[in-house]
Amino acid sequence: MYRGREGQWAFLLHRVSGVAIALFLLLHVLDISLVMFGPDGPFDAFLAFYHNWPFRIGLLMVIAGVVYHALNGLRIILMDFTTWGVRYQRQLWYGVLGLTTAIGVPVLWIVVPQIVGGI
Amino acid sequence: MASPRPRTYAEAREVSSSNSELGWWVFMRISGLLLVFLVFGHLWTNNIVIDPATIDYDYVASRLAQPGVRIYDTFLLFFAMLHGVNGLRYSIEDYTKRPGRRFWYKILLYTVSAIIFVLGTMTLWAFTYQEMGDAVRAIGATQ
Repeated sequence: MYRGREGQWAFLLHRVSGVAIALFLLLHVLDISLVMFGPDGPFDAFLAFYHNWPFRIGLLMVIAGVVYHALNGLRIILMDFTTWGVRYQRQLWYGVLGLTTAIGVPVLWIVVPQIVGGI
Repeated sequence: MASPRPRTYAEAREVSSSNSELGWWVFMRISGLLLVFLVFGHLWTNNIVIDPATIDYDYVASRLAQPGVRIYDTFLLFFAMLHGVNGLRYSIEDYTKRPGRRFWYKILLYTVSAIIFVLGTMTLWAFTYQEMGDAVRAIGATQ
């Protein structure tokens, strides 16, 4: 395996989170389109599946992926469009991880009790 | 990857195999910046402000009845689908070596995405909820 440093992990996480988000996006548009069948259609039954705790934990991981992907995307934009971005890419990546955690912890604080309360 | 990632617009222009590939390089950055705000707003509204486990038909119907939500979601759908599907295309091209397989994976990706994009747009714009109910009842009546 190629032993890159931070940049390699930044790329790998960006790729994995991106694929997960894109696949969930396709599923999510499909599930919302079920409202076209009307109030007596399959929408509510399908959503009951979404409300199960294993799915909600999976969804939480996708949301964590969204936060990382968004912030690392901003890092990529800085690397591509500023003169100093590449020089500080490692520091920027630690900034991305720090901000992802800083956003993630309060979100967990709100969402985990919801999930536990729903079991 | 064969060559180092382009870091500037000029470098991207040099390494891109075509004008459209350069266009996608630029698009990923512009749409990505827009999506940061669009997606965070979407998650804030539907996952933080409310408990998503309370989402049901009535909630979605009341949201999509608002023109502002429809317009917001149209932008979200448009940019997220293009950004996401192009990202999946990058992944297929990076990890699928055999040209035949690569071709068919991409055909599959584009077909599925196009259908889902049309479904999403229909959900947002094609029907009012009254019309939807009527349409469903009409289908029920013919059976």
